[in-house]
Amino acid sequence: MTSLRRALWLLAFVGVVGGAVPMALAIGSDHLDNRALNVVFGPLIGWAFIGTGLFAWWRRPENRFGALMTAVGFTWCIAGLSVADEPGLFIAGLLLGALPYGFLVHMLLAFPRGVLEGRLATVVVSAGYFVTTIMQFTWALVYDTTREECGCPPNPLLAWDNQGVADFLYTAQSILAIVVIAGLIVALYRRWRGMSRVQRRGLTPVIFTGLVLAVDLAITLAADLSGVSGAAEEVIDIVGLSLLASVPFAFLAGLLSSRVSRAGAVGGLVTRLADAPRRGELRDALAEALDDDSLMLAYWLPDTASYVDARGHPVRIPAPGSGRGVSHVERDGRRVATIVYDASVAEDDPGLVDAIGSATALALENERLDAELCARVEELRGSRMRLMEVGMAERRGLERNLHDGAQQRLVSLALTLRAARTRLGGSEDGAGELLDRAELELELAISELRELARGIHPAVLSDRGLPAALESLAARSPVPVEVGVLPAERLPEPVELAAYYVISEALANVVKYAGATHATVDVARSNGDVLVEVGDDGVGGADPARGTGLRGLQDRVRALEGRLAVVSESGQGTRVKARIPCG
Amino acid sequence: MRVVVADDSVLLREGVVRLLEDSGFEVVGQAGDADDLRRKVYAHKPDVAVVDVRMPPDNTDDGLRAALEIRARQPETGVLVLSQYVEEGYALDLVGEGGGGVGYLLKDRVADLDRFTDSVRRVGSGGSALDPDVVARLLGRSRRDDPLEEITPREREVLELMAEGRSNNAIAEALVVTERAVEKHVTSIFGKLGLAPTAEDHRRVLAVLTFLRA
Repeated sequence: MTSLRRALWLLAFVGVVGGAVPMALAIGSDHLDNRALNVVFGPLIGWAFIGTGLFAWWRRPENRFGALMTAVGFTWCIAGLSVADEPGLFIAGLLLGALPYGFLVHMLLAFPRGVLEGRLATVVVSAGYFVTTIMQFTWALVYDTTREECGCPPNPLLAWDNQGVADFLYTAQSILAIVVIAGLIVALYRRWRGMSRVQRRGLTPVIFTGLVLAVDLAITLAADLSGVSGAAEEVIDIVGLSLLASVPFAFLAGLLSSRVSRAGAVGGLVTRLADAPRRGELRDALAEALDDDSLMLAYWLPDTASYVDARGHPVRIPAPGSGRGVSHVERDGRRVATIVYDASVAEDDPGLVDAIGSATALALENERLDAELCARVEELRGSRMRLMEVGMAERRGLERNLHDGAQQRLVSLALTLRAARTRLGGSEDGAGELLDRAELELELAISELRELARGIHPAVLSDRGLPAALESLAARSPVPVEVGVLPAERLPEPVELAAYYVISEALANVVKYAGATHATVDVARSNGDVLVEVGDDGVGGADPARGTGLRGLQDRVRALEGRLAVVSESGQGTRVKARIPCG
Repeated sequence: MRVVVADDSVLLREGVVRLLEDSGFEVVGQAGDADDLRRKVYAHKPDVAVVDVRMPPDNTDDGLRAALEIRARQPETGVLVLSQYVEEGYALDLVGEGGGGVGYLLKDRVADLDRFTDSVRRVGSGGSALDPDVVARLLGRSRRDDPLEEITPREREVLELMAEGRSNNAIAEALVVTERAVEKHVTSIFGKLGLAPTAEDHRRVLAVLTFLRA
């Protein structure tokens, strides 16, 4: 048996006896207003606080909350001595009569971690002790106990018999006590507001009980000050005492039940994971086991030294002190995953999450492999997109360079040739003929370069968007093309380009292979996607695997997470359809 | 005739300026970007501005946009737009709903001296000039119920020349027929297209183009 346990058992014994003494005294007391109430509630409340306090102390030795609860119980028992007829015991009870409430205020504000948080709590608790000790002692020095009709024994500490001062001190103490209780209520409310969702769920009933008790104490004091007596006073008393008796149980229940029992959580989890969990289910299982909806699983990717979620998306591990707990799970000395949880989950059992992590390491490793694969796919998808964007940018740049460079130079060369010819006049050495030929060649070169530049990147698409570009495409097609209704608004640039190239390549195929008399182009928006369709009335039978053109289109569309389909029954014409997500 | 020339390629701009000056035009200003063009045109109020489509600051269709603005704000100045590419969209934008004083030519047409200076002159005096390639493409577009199908090959030739902005006289010369014959063809075309004939050259083009873009 540990020394703590021995000490606790000793305290329990003292407590049982200590609670019984005032009960015995109350039965025999000759200065008691309400004997039955005292006989029943006196020991009951004392025992309740001592018993539950000791239990909490034993279960959570590092938490001062149990000790505070026990202190409330013991001082309550000592306060019970005030019913004694023997002046020494009587005055001891009187002196400590208010102290249980000082401890009670401390206990309520120290719940559940046993420490005070925030300045308000510290001030309220200090003021509470001041009111219940120093003010109480001062009052005891001037209060002539025999003066009242209670039939109390004389006050051996009476130093200065002054009824007026005694009454004044009593009133001041009561008013200050009400102020302390008001502070307590505010502090409790703030406390509740500052709690995380997980904490709140477990602790709301407890805090609520504390609040009701505080309100009742304030009413009792106010009733006393305003001189309420008779039946009303009795009702307030009974309600207050009943509440007080129930408080320790509510708090003990809160203290224990708001926490997850390690054995229960691990056991339930292992059973649940016996069936191979689907992706994401592991997180749900852990969240349920720890009763923490905010729980997050981050899988470790050694290659990139980074974390991802189950779908392979990058996640960040919160910094220490952010209110989030972090538990690293390792397997065979290698990091597998990190569990990020609400720090309050492991407040009383710091090893709980680690234990859960160890129990699920294998399942976590499996899901980590999955996540790693997802991350790779994600990365490839990203790099494919980037490659395509780079390609597009390069084509744009190339076209611009041709436009600003070679094309301008050639046109200006044509001007120079023309000037040379004018200057030459009617020379008969054949130079004019040569210049004619040069001009003709140049004209061809300019027009070939123009077509080349347009093929590299259609400037009109960037300038004017799809309708103008398609109009132009249709106009230059040898097979008549009917352009249907197009989206009125501009599409995102990569989508616009992809749609344009799909249509341009499909129309080129119509001309080359389909033997069609007529083609149609339609572009529509549907649920955030762009649907592109190019159809013809040709021979059909096109093989999507044939040639690099369609495959290149397939790649381009896929890079944007889109799909390309070719429907081409023999003799039924060909339809090329693309669905491209728009952003 | 007073001209402002705008092109961001100095080489080409100077070539065009020299060519115009040699042909008796007075070049009153040169611009290297769209904003410069607006300033010079509003300051000098030339008869015509020869404008490259693609120019700084954006290097997209800045020149064309400036040209459209000039037409709207200063109708006494005609704009002849030069483009590296044949884009019917640009041409149709220029023709718009309004009167003449517009032209759209492929850039390399400047080497064809007579035709180019003729176009500048036409646009400068309120007429219009469209590149034959643009006209061919506009007329060549396939349409669902194509009214152009009823037009005879000869009438089509006349229509194309009309669309370029030529006068009946010029068309007659080009096709080696009498002017009366051309007039007959024009009346017949208008009849088939359901258009009322008018005397003005550019109105005929506009009528044709307005019909084509419908």
